[in-house]
Amino acid sequence: MTASVPNGSDGSMVRLALLSLVSAVVLACAIAVATAIGDYTIGLGTVFLAITNGLGLTSATLPPIEESVVWDLRLSRALVAALAGAGLALCGAILQALLRNPLAEPFVLGVSAGASTGAVCVIILGVGAGSLSLSVGAFVGAFSAFGLVALLSNGATSGPNHTILAGVAASQLFNALTSYIVTTSGNAEQARNVMFWLLGSFGGVRWPDFQLLLVVVCLCLVICILMARSLDAFTFGDEDAAALGVPVARIRLLLFAVTALMTATIVSMVGAIGFVGLVVPHAARYLVGPMHLRLMPACAVVGAVFMVIADIVSRVIATQQTVPIGVVTALVGVPFFAIILYRARPQA
Amino acid sequence: MPLKSTLALGTTVLALFGTPLYADTTYPLTIENCGQTVTFEQAPQNAMALGQNSAEIMLMLGLEDRMVATAFWPNEVLPELAEANAQVELLTVEFPTLESVLSKQPDFVAAMLVTLLGPDSKVAKREDFHALDIPTYLSPSACSVTEVSGDIYGARADLWSMDQLYKEIEDLSRIFDVANRGEAVIEDLKAREAALRDRFEDREDLTFLVWFSSPSPQDDAYLAGGNGPSSYIADLLGGSNAIKAESEWPTLGWEGIMASDPTVIVAAQVDRERWTLDTAENKIAFLQSDPIVSQMEAVSKGRIVVMPGAATNASIQTIYGAEEVAEQLEALDLSE
Repeated sequence: MTASVPNGSDGSMVRLALLSLVSAVVLACAIAVATAIGDYTIGLGTVFLAITNGLGLTSATLPPIEESVVWDLRLSRALVAALAGAGLALCGAILQALLRNPLAEPFVLGVSAGASTGAVCVIILGVGAGSLSLSVGAFVGAFSAFGLVALLSNGATSGPNHTILAGVAASQLFNALTSYIVTTSGNAEQARNVMFWLLGSFGGVRWPDFQLLLVVVCLCLVICILMARSLDAFTFGDEDAAALGVPVARIRLLLFAVTALMTATIVSMVGAIGFVGLVVPHAARYLVGPMHLRLMPACAVVGAVFMVIADIVSRVIATQQTVPIGVVTALVGVPFFAIILYRARPQA
Repeated sequence: MPLKSTLALGTTVLALFGTPLYADTTYPLTIENCGQTVTFEQAPQNAMALGQNSAEIMLMLGLEDRMVATAFWPNEVLPELAEANAQVELLTVEFPTLESVLSKQPDFVAAMLVTLLGPDSKVAKREDFHALDIPTYLSPSACSVTEVSGDIYGARADLWSMDQLYKEIEDLSRIFDVANRGEAVIEDLKAREAALRDRFEDREDLTFLVWFSSPSPQDDAYLAGGNGPSSYIADLLGGSNAIKAESEWPTLGWEGIMASDPTVIVAAQVDRERWTLDTAENKIAFLQSDPIVSQMEAVSKGRIVVMPGAATNASIQTIYGAEEVAEQLEALDLSE
């Protein structure tokens, strides 16, 4: 990865403005499509009016069930999907920079597995109740996984390969813990529900979930943008970053915390969704280059669009029942993973 | 007396005397259900049944013309209800989506499990419907479990009994303003329950192992434990559950199963097509062919009986399952 010097010339500003506009339009279109299709056939006019009603722009009289389906179910779900996609993509970009490894993402590093274990502990072992404690459980789990990876790889200073290996070990450990908790306390239906949840589903989300996620993802995005220069420095390695005046240990800890917070919030809400954090940063780099000031917003937008589309696909594949979103993202993600692996092979 | 003739008699009595045996429901009707107060402005005309038991109770009450759709069927419908059930749309035998439920414009939703309608459900929360002025009803059996660690369904402090089911039938019959039909159904089930109780002496040494299913022969088996319907069936037939675990659905390896040394093994016939061992036939084949498991006394002495998987859920089918096991139990040689 080579860092190009950012140039503030007019040409690049125009290009950036154009990109922003196009991505906003694409995202809006994806969300519009998501609110327009589903098991319940609702006329496009009703869909449009339900949204404008919800935004307080109109006060049309609509069938209450149809209005609720559009506004309470589809729109909140599409927006949560967008935020989850954005958040996971940001996590991937941060980890790839911090670990200098193109394959880093929450899923690969065991953070998702840790968050799942924490959340399952709350669900099954009844450690507290309510959505907040579920998030707290997931957060503790995510952080534990991070801690373990950091410990096994000497604070990620012993080289990227080490970190990935440590991540694999952490994934295995936490997945095993999750399976253990589920099977020893399980019941056929419950185990199935937990497994379904582990593969991710936007089935249960409502407006309060959106509000929480909006705060978390926006906060993290702002931090990422503020830290963009440090992240650029990290891609050269810790020593070079320190030489450039970056307080390496502090920034690393802060950014790890940001990643853990976002991953934990998303996992506790919609389950563990893999490969978004891996695939999207690479796609975004292809679009806007490697500089993090541009890369971060690009990741957020591309991640959001990807996830909204993936959710549409998961709803359309099988009508009247749901396909776990993780299945769809993995189907797209795995081939991409293979391409990155191939391109990242050592040059002889 | 079978249910149909009881209903026919009830109807005849009604026709003869021209006055209902049970009071008509006065609306608005307010009922307490699973910690929530639900109000009905009128009898539902387009009811949605989430889960086999909710659907079968409605069908038993003769409400097929007032049901808009059903979903989530682990087992086949009871044969006597098949004809009525064919008139009602089936959304899916698995978990439905909330949107597909709402697309049927229901004016009432009844559910049998908290996973179908509950605070942590991925399908729907009661508030989703209440916000649209659609009243909901959750099976008392589903919310009678206490929140304990180890099980999202919790564990039952006391042995499940048909009383919870009778409460459910009574509530639903009042909601639909068919209290007399509800009473007839309850009377019929109570009589059958009492008959089973009278048929079997209590025996200390009689234990049942209820095997629901397994992902594969090597995996731990899902067994019925705790104080659930399967333990109730064992108790009704004079015995007890060989599995003493508190969890409603413990999993156990074959070594542990052999150690529990049941007198009788109940192989559940689960009609969904998820795992090979869902069918009773494949369970029996495994029990008899596995060199180690086949040495269990219950297997070597041929004391394996078959029961519909739906009977293991707190439902109308529980009593049907008990009757099927009773028939087979009487044909077995239980002398040691």
